[in-house]
Amino acid sequence: MAVTAGSSPTGAAPVRPQRSWFSQYSWLGMGFAFTLSVFYLVMFVVPFGTAIWLSFHNWDYIQRPVFVNTRNFAKLLGDAGFWDALWTTIQFSVVEIFVALSLALLLALALSHLRPVYQYTLLAIYNLPVIMPGVVSVLLWSWLYRTNGGAFNAVLESLGLPSQPFSNSPDQALWCITLMVVWIFLGNSSIVLLAAINEVPDSLLEAAQLDGASAWKRFTAVTLPLIQPAMAYQVVTSIIGTMQMFEPFQLMPGPGHSTRTLSLYTYQLGFEVLNLGYGAAVSIAMFVILLSATLFELQRRRRSWDY
Amino acid sequence: MTATTTAVSRLSTPYWQRTRWQTWLLIAILIGGGVLMLYPFAWLVLSAFKLPADIIRIPPTLWPETWSIEAFQVVLSHKIGGGSLARSYLNSIFVTVTTVIAVLITSTLGGYCFARLRFPLREPLFYFVLSTTMVPFLTLLIPLYVVMDRLELLNTLWVLIVPSVFSSFGIFLCRQFVYGIPIELYDAAKIDGAGDFTIYTRIIVGMMKPVISVLAIFSFRATFNDYLWPLVTITDGGNYTLPLALRGIGNSFGWFDYSKVMASSLLTLIPPLIVFFIFQRNLVKGIALTGIKG
Repeated sequence: MAVTAGSSPTGAAPVRPQRSWFSQYSWLGMGFAFTLSVFYLVMFVVPFGTAIWLSFHNWDYIQRPVFVNTRNFAKLLGDAGFWDALWTTIQFSVVEIFVALSLALLLALALSHLRPVYQYTLLAIYNLPVIMPGVVSVLLWSWLYRTNGGAFNAVLESLGLPSQPFSNSPDQALWCITLMVVWIFLGNSSIVLLAAINEVPDSLLEAAQLDGASAWKRFTAVTLPLIQPAMAYQVVTSIIGTMQMFEPFQLMPGPGHSTRTLSLYTYQLGFEVLNLGYGAAVSIAMFVILLSATLFELQRRRRSWDY
Repeated sequence: MTATTTAVSRLSTPYWQRTRWQTWLLIAILIGGGVLMLYPFAWLVLSAFKLPADIIRIPPTLWPETWSIEAFQVVLSHKIGGGSLARSYLNSIFVTVTTVIAVLITSTLGGYCFARLRFPLREPLFYFVLSTTMVPFLTLLIPLYVVMDRLELLNTLWVLIVPSVFSSFGIFLCRQFVYGIPIELYDAAKIDGAGDFTIYTRIIVGMMKPVISVLAIFSFRATFNDYLWPLVTITDGGNYTLPLALRGIGNSFGWFDYSKVMASSLLTLIPPLIVFFIFQRNLVKGIALTGIKG
């Protein structure tokens, strides 16, 4: 290959006699950097710039975009649809992350006491829903949630409990989706936590036990602080994942707007109502909210990272 | 956290020797949880083999009264807006395989370049790539659609592949991993006269196997399961991928014909299941290895 011609010192190598300014660079590196830059320019910089530009315009995809200054953002502040969608998103995100992370932590703790062969086998079972396409999960669960003759209501009846409307009720629909999403991602979260728990040195736990620390105390004082980075990683990826989740809200909607999240609202504005400028404004708001939530969470957890 | 590369699981016995019954209790609880996890899945599998009369039974029964493959026969000959389930199968496999291979090449090469090679703007470029992960896909959705429209890629399979050729996450993951490979290996090969690309193909790729299998799974899952982007960009049924085809089948068969929906779901699950069972162990090990610890 021609690209192998360059002679580049490594990043860590000591300073060598300079030949020319150019020859210190790797041809392969420069070729890759160029390709990558072109790609990100077309697939990221241009679309992101367009999103910002579009949020100051009105556009229906057919006529020319009209500059409306900050009117889209003013509209957004007074738009009940936006605030409802935001509230729905936050409710879903917070509850999902809290429930899923608690269960995943319990699962990972339990698994960490077993021999590797059991760990892998059980993880495979808990991980099965993760690999299913979201559409399959939604088609399956919406059928199980059915009010008349659904499997979940049949289980409730056999336990002597009253049957529930589930997805047909504005009060329950969001939590039906939340439960399904917890089911989908439980195994995945516990893999990361299990890997972290398995790396907690036995010597520390042993020392704590010799000092008379109870199992609970060992967990809160040794294990939990040591797996903080894994927890933070899990929380941040879950924030990003839940805020952007789309399939369940589009394919398994509750009555009215009871399960309309920001992601679904953006989609509807852009591709159903064809109000692209306002849709872009909502999506920019979503970006700002997501960024703030992520940075806040990282900042909050960073304090406990130093050990 | 230290960057140890030990296997995930403890090799020595834990310091607190557990009694036998405690371990069995733990296993029993975990299996109980596993059964709960598998319960919805059991409905999917078993209902695919039910006859319509079985599907509409009230109260519903999990086990089919008579086993039948009628549902599979019906969905395989069912037309979905100019396409079919078999066609979508081929589309999905083509898109997924192409994307995964592309992502694996660009990520390993990118990780190597950013970690070991010199070129102008190396660090700013890397942090730029990393920062793109902070922008939600939904913010880019509308304008990316416009870009694809301008490039005249809409409604082709390429529109599903091209935007995913580079993966910011993949490049990040591989760069971290290449930093873990002793630099002496690189220097030694250099002294022996190997070029950058030879070092990449002969040494780096071989050492990156754990991270490659993790990335392969992530990338497979993201591409194969993707719904929103195909939903927006693909309107011709002949170019549907499996998630879109499933939605179409879900719309054309109602609650009373649900064995057809479950049968097509089951067929859709075959490729992910194969990939999953091949890579499951690597995935668990790889996550510990690649240092996804925050």
